[in-house]
Amino acid sequence: MPNATYEIIDRFQEAGPADRLLYAPLAGNLTCRQTRLYHFGFEGDPDAVETFVRRTLLDGISQELHHGEEPALTGFRFLIDYGMKTQALDLEKETIKACHAGLGDAGFSLTQLTLRTRVYVFGEGAADPAVFVRDICNPAIHSWSVVAA
Amino acid sequence: MEKRPHALLLKYPGTNCDAETARALEATGFATTILPVSRLDRDHLEGVSLVVFSGGFSYGDYIMSGRVARLITEQRIASALEEFRDRGGYLLGICNGFQILTQMGLLPAGSLVHNTSGRFICRWAGLDKRSDAAPLSFLPDHFELPVAHAEGRFVTADPADAERYLAEGLAPLTYTDDINGSFAGIAGLQDKTGRVFGLMPHPERFLHRADHYDPDWDGDAQWGWGYHFFRSLHAAVSASSPVPCPA
Repeated sequence: MPNATYEIIDRFQEAGPADRLLYAPLAGNLTCRQTRLYHFGFEGDPDAVETFVRRTLLDGISQELHHGEEPALTGFRFLIDYGMKTQALDLEKETIKACHAGLGDAGFSLTQLTLRTRVYVFGEGAADPAVFVRDICNPAIHSWSVVAA
Repeated sequence: MEKRPHALLLKYPGTNCDAETARALEATGFATTILPVSRLDRDHLEGVSLVVFSGGFSYGDYIMSGRVARLITEQRIASALEEFRDRGGYLLGICNGFQILTQMGLLPAGSLVHNTSGRFICRWAGLDKRSDAAPLSFLPDHFELPVAHAEGRFVTADPADAERYLAEGLAPLTYTDDINGSFAGIAGLQDKTGRVFGLMPHPERFLHRADHYDPDWDGDAQWGWGYHFFRSLHAAVSASSPVPCPA
């Protein structure tokens, strides 16, 4: 089954204080950025998938599209890749599927859709990914992985 | 027969400012209908002078604010809103409604993205009127309104575009202070026809004097600036010819 992965980056989002993601501030000078990852399983025209992504998911003025699973940003200490568990109801995914269905013939059929958020952490100082996982991810509904630089 | 201009307020799942916006429209002379988008078709624009998109979190702000609302509206009525504007109709977007109008391409090109602080802001904001616009004619050069948004930072592909909007009178409303990182401090935009207007602040939340945070506010004895905003819009809509029905 063909698949395609897109990571969407906000052009105007600069790395901000990572403390805003946490319940208690950290010592150090860590910053963070977030991106969104969309993984499509499909049957049909690959170009139609990208057309759908550009029309539905991408804002041409404020965002950039990155192809593939590799992290779109560089220079990070670690990143946390998290999203809804497969058995949990993901309303955003359902909305995107409804948009696809509403198009009628979009040029491809959607066999799988996975949405993930990537939190990139940058900077110097103590940086324990477990602290971020604890405060960002909810074990009841989220699955996650931590990627070191 | 109803002689008041008819405002149609579109309600999406997650819209939450429809009741107070409808109240403001009614208070200033509009006959107002709130319509769930699930029932929207082209026929609903018949006899309507103003289409309003109010504040809230349409579709949970999924993907990005206003994006899904745009897609759903296009699926239901395609280009009917552009045709409505071209026939002389007015469109107003407040906060999430501004985001929706921007996504639809009915306003000068730009996007509303996350505030530079990365946080939701809820406060009063000082505003400067930069040029004439239908909803601003009865307002002074400086006034204030409440704001409440996470994605209110107006950006353009090139920052020079925002400056150009100011110079060309397409950005009639700017923030007195930099509260969210908007290019050129833009708080509100209008299109070249002057009939499509969007703004991040919430005029419907300052309808009455009593809505102001300062009990000694030195303003109108009864009404807030939001009332004069909608009254200005009512005057403009009333002065224009009725919007003809599509053939």
